[in-house]
Amino acid sequence: MAKQQPILKTDDLSKRYEDGVLAVDHLNLNIYPGEVYCLLGANGAGKTTTINLFLNFIPPTTGTCYVNGIDVTKDPLEAKKYVSFVSENVMLYGNFTARQNLDFFAKLGGKTNLAKNDYYQVMRRVSLQEKAFEQRVKNFSKGMRQKLGISIAVIKDAPAVLLDEPTAGLDPKAAEEFLEILDELKKEGKAILMSTHDIFRAKEIGDRVGIMKEGRLVMERTREELQYEDLVKIYIDYMKSEPLTLS
Amino acid sequence: MLKTIIKKEVLETIFSYRFPLFAVICLLLIPLGMMVNQASYAKRVRDYSEQVRLADEAASKLKIQDVMAGTVAIKGFRRPAPLSVFTQGFESTLPRYYEFTQDGFKPGESASDDESILSVQGKVDFVFLVQMVISLIALLFASDMISGEKESGTLRAMLANRLPRDTLLAGKIEGGDLALWVPFLIAFLLGAVVLMLGAFPLFAGGAAGRVLVIFLATSLFVLTYFTIGIAVSTSAAKARTSLVAILIVWAAFQLIIPKLGDMVARLVYPVRTETEISLQKSLLVRSLDMDQAKELGRQWDLIFGSLSQEARDKQDSPENKKWEPIRDDIQQRTREKKSQQLAAIDETYTQERRRQQNLAVNLSLISPSAAFARLLADVCGTGELERAKYLEAVRAHQKALDNELFSKVKRTLMIHEGGQMSMGFSAMPVDASKLPKFVITSATMAEAFKANVRSLLSLLFWLIAPFAFAYAKFIKYDVR
Repeated sequence: MAKQQPILKTDDLSKRYEDGVLAVDHLNLNIYPGEVYCLLGANGAGKTTTINLFLNFIPPTTGTCYVNGIDVTKDPLEAKKYVSFVSENVMLYGNFTARQNLDFFAKLGGKTNLAKNDYYQVMRRVSLQEKAFEQRVKNFSKGMRQKLGISIAVIKDAPAVLLDEPTAGLDPKAAEEFLEILDELKKEGKAILMSTHDIFRAKEIGDRVGIMKEGRLVMERTREELQYEDLVKIYIDYMKSEPLTLS
Repeated sequence: MLKTIIKKEVLETIFSYRFPLFAVICLLLIPLGMMVNQASYAKRVRDYSEQVRLADEAASKLKIQDVMAGTVAIKGFRRPAPLSVFTQGFESTLPRYYEFTQDGFKPGESASDDESILSVQGKVDFVFLVQMVISLIALLFASDMISGEKESGTLRAMLANRLPRDTLLAGKIEGGDLALWVPFLIAFLLGAVVLMLGAFPLFAGGAAGRVLVIFLATSLFVLTYFTIGIAVSTSAAKARTSLVAILIVWAAFQLIIPKLGDMVARLVYPVRTETEISLQKSLLVRSLDMDQAKELGRQWDLIFGSLSQEARDKQDSPENKKWEPIRDDIQQRTREKKSQQLAAIDETYTQERRRQQNLAVNLSLISPSAAFARLLADVCGTGELERAKYLEAVRAHQKALDNELFSKVKRTLMIHEGGQMSMGFSAMPVDASKLPKFVITSATMAEAFKANVRSLLSLLFWLIAPFAFAYAKFIKYDVR
């Protein structure tokens, strides 16, 4: 992979919550265009906190987050121009149709001049059924919601995509379809950070896989390295190991 | 970006299950309330016209002998306020008329014998519906606008974009309020049509301007409650928490604070009733009249006591010449004393009431609902201002009648030594058709606004403060 400037970058990033919990501990990450970085870890390992820090939902205690070279804390609005976000439970307006949801979030993402057909095209691209385009989202299955969620990221066309456990709760077919779309986004040159519990899919899609434990990035492997190692074993070994000393 | 948020909020509100409910409530209750109150107003106007006709008829047949005999009471009627169709205010508790006699004025019966506590806050009329129903709905709509979106995760999804939080907040307030405002506007216009169909004088005597003020003030009031709801929503992490908080806020503003203000004021500064004051004045007049009668009797006995009846009856006798200035002097002194003491009672009563009212008003104005009700009652001519104007007109009319009618009759009651009583009468002719008419000058809009500076300030505070609070909270709101 050609080493360019990272789109997503953390520089000695730490976050300690008001209750004293150190959620992220001196994290250094660089995610490049066309790269999928999978962040594995148990609940509370700091994966979602890292994503929240990239989105400036919470301020870091120390360190810095960069999106496309922009310091997220200093210029959060500018940084958000370059990032799309898809969460575990895709957040949509149940009383709106799929197209209305897409239209709303596209406009928030700065795409103001799109026609109905443009939305239909994106929804076709993520394999959402045609009949669902003008249906209210409240009756959608989780898979359909995830597809619509990723279509929001697709339509925003930002260079970075943050995915917070996007395949959790999806049936295998839906998860597979989801990963196919991710692969397409990767090929388009998007830098993708995906937090997940799904070791198998992380190995399948990730160009690099990192394991977080108690806020620290305790291991990082490239796709090539993982060809010769058992990621499941590594993950379980790290999870079983002694708790880290909190700094 | 703002337009996008506004549009989304409008659509989301319209698509919610609560919206049809709100629309039905508005479209049904507001025009219906106006229709019912219009019918009630029309009936009161008919009653008023009939009573005035009868009173005028009686006045045209008025003879000075009736006044001398004290068997006549002149009545001054108050015409029902047309805009009472919007808010009853004090309309049903104000006396329908005042009675004027030589001894002063006293209130007649009120338009309704309903002494319900709600009569001050408004019966089931437009203002009541806005205060009790629409305000609650506005709060409920706003209650989950922030906390609900946080719970559903859509807040994160929105703020993951280049969307400033202040724009999001402003869009939510504007969009949500707009979605509520449109059904309200339609219901209001429908109500106006209903009034016009009922031959209500909507465009007479500046009523249209006042109706516009009512509409604008109500729109602002709904916005105020909506903003309060948003402020509560930004303070809660969960929609359920904000719902409970909102119900508490609503109960405090609608029921607790206004009533508590009145109760505290009554406890701190108790005031006698108007009837008690009338009674006190009557007793004073009677007492002074008795003193005068005794003094006149004593003086008369001194001058005429030793004379024969024949000598007493001689109009040009030296005794009579001596008696007349003495009599006039005693009567003049009594009149002055009466006037001073009656004025003192009125002044004390006015001060007592003013002190109690000031405290009650100041306390109740903590609530935007009380401020709104007070403002609208004065704009509609059914509020405190109208009561003051009514009393002002009554005092002026009493004075005019004293000059034009009651002073033309002189009754000289004397109580002689030994308790014997005698009475002499003298009267000047009176032209009944030239007697002054009882007129109440309605308060102008400027007067209504001037009298409601505190209400306006309270409304303004509740419009700005929750927005500022919501802004400060939302900028740091944890969206996770």
